[in-house]
Amino acid sequence: MTTVSGYDQNSFREKPAYFQLADDWRSARGRGVSVAIIDSGIDATHRDLQGKVIASVEARIDNKKVIFDPSATGDSAGHGTACAGIVSSIAPDAELFSIKVLGAAGLGDGQAFLAGLEYAIKNRYRIINLSLGTTKPQYFAPLHDMLDRAYQAGCVVVAAANNLPQPSFPSVFSSSLISVVKSSETDPLNFGFRYGEVIELTAPGVNVRTAWLGNGYRNLTGNSFACPHIVGIIALLLEKHPELTPFQVKSALYTIALENQRKFQLPDNLSN
Amino acid sequence: MSNPDANDFEDRLKRLFETIDTANLLTEPLTASIKNFLEVSAADMNSGEASVLIRDGADGDLRFLSAIGEVAAQLSNMTIPAGRGIAGFVLSSGQPMAVADVGEEETFYADIDKETGYSTQTILATPLRHKGEIIGVLEYINRRGAPPFMPFTPDEMDKAAVFADAMASLVSAYESAKLLHGLGDRIVSDADAADFSVLRKWLFDLRETREHCEMMDLAVLLREISSRGEIERKMCRGILEAVLGYSNSKDETTYLG
Repeated sequence: MTTVSGYDQNSFREKPAYFQLADDWRSARGRGVSVAIIDSGIDATHRDLQGKVIASVEARIDNKKVIFDPSATGDSAGHGTACAGIVSSIAPDAELFSIKVLGAAGLGDGQAFLAGLEYAIKNRYRIINLSLGTTKPQYFAPLHDMLDRAYQAGCVVVAAANNLPQPSFPSVFSSSLISVVKSSETDPLNFGFRYGEVIELTAPGVNVRTAWLGNGYRNLTGNSFACPHIVGIIALLLEKHPELTPFQVKSALYTIALENQRKFQLPDNLSN
Repeated sequence: MSNPDANDFEDRLKRLFETIDTANLLTEPLTASIKNFLEVSAADMNSGEASVLIRDGADGDLRFLSAIGEVAAQLSNMTIPAGRGIAGFVLSSGQPMAVADVGEEETFYADIDKETGYSTQTILATPLRHKGEIIGVLEYINRRGAPPFMPFTPDEMDKAAVFADAMASLVSAYESAKLLHGLGDRIVSDADAADFSVLRKWLFDLRETREHCEMMDLAVLLREISSRGEIERKMCRGILEAVLGYSNSKDETTYLG
């Protein structure tokens, strides 16, 4: 049993409450939890993903506006399929929604994922996997606004950090989203929480074996593969506790990460 | 040349000529530096194949600017449409990534491999950033020696990010010089005024002459020697002044002019 500090949604603004988070999430499969993957598309025909991708859309420009049409073009790069594979390996019953923003003609990088994020929030997908980022200052304000909207709508946005010296948006907006950096851990459930750091979560992101184009698999390294690990774990949490707010999800992750630290740092003969 | 119009024409001609030749003098050493840096950094990454891809147009297409390795010549000026492949993703996302084959699969699926016949088995792709903009992608492919190749490690990913910073500065300088070059070319090719058509013909004729080509080669050589240090610059100056003095002392010379 995990004790999580937070506010009960029904008594919001009345009094702080503690709730008990049972460990039953560890046996969950992400059933009934919608996960949006804003990326290069998903190859829904991959043997690991058949029947799991509920809908696929892709962005196009129409009269300077971004429109989303149903997509049948699959994945243009492999990355979206890889992320979907990681989410699915942890939460096999999660409902995946592909929002393809890469490769749309005339769509700038920042504009692309901003539009994808807006689409995901409008559709109220519970978890949004965002492996894209930008360092362009002009996107700071609109992204900040968008993430506040996601937070208020109850969408949990999980973003991959970049590993460069300068900050990239949105991964530095730690107050309203969950940002993740790679670790060399191999156990998919052994993630960490670095309280006080800009990028708070660590999750496996080195040589991760996952789905790839052509019904194949690849070993992948990068922060963008740590991100879907956390998305998968949140899907497990939300199956058992769909009432959790984004704030409570983050608190739960913090608490579980502390447990992980204790569990995984103990010598083998004491870990049980 | 007492005609004022003729003087103006001559001034413009001189400026244009200087612009184009300065750009030439800049782009050539930068192209060589980019390739040298690719070779040095690839050796440090224990990789024999490496390439620099740059953004080509507003849609996010990529074009190979420089490459080293087995299929380098085939890659020259090959393009990748926006959002396609690992490089396309890295350009759009700003996220570096490493991809490796898993044991049971022999070859890597990629459009470029299909065209070149090369077998990519492990790859590390890092964005090239300059002043907050992603201007291209730096890729290292496979390892030296025979397969199977070890995947690229997180430490190598960090190292590649440092290489990418330096490479981005070189690529940005190259792009600026190329812009200058293009500007000069555009002035020459787009000009419809009568005097510019004369100028265009004159310049094109000039570029074709053996004398001009030899002068440009000499200028590049001089720049290369004098860029090596102060001693080399002094030596160049001494030798050239001696040649000039000798030439001036002769009534007729076959060395100059």
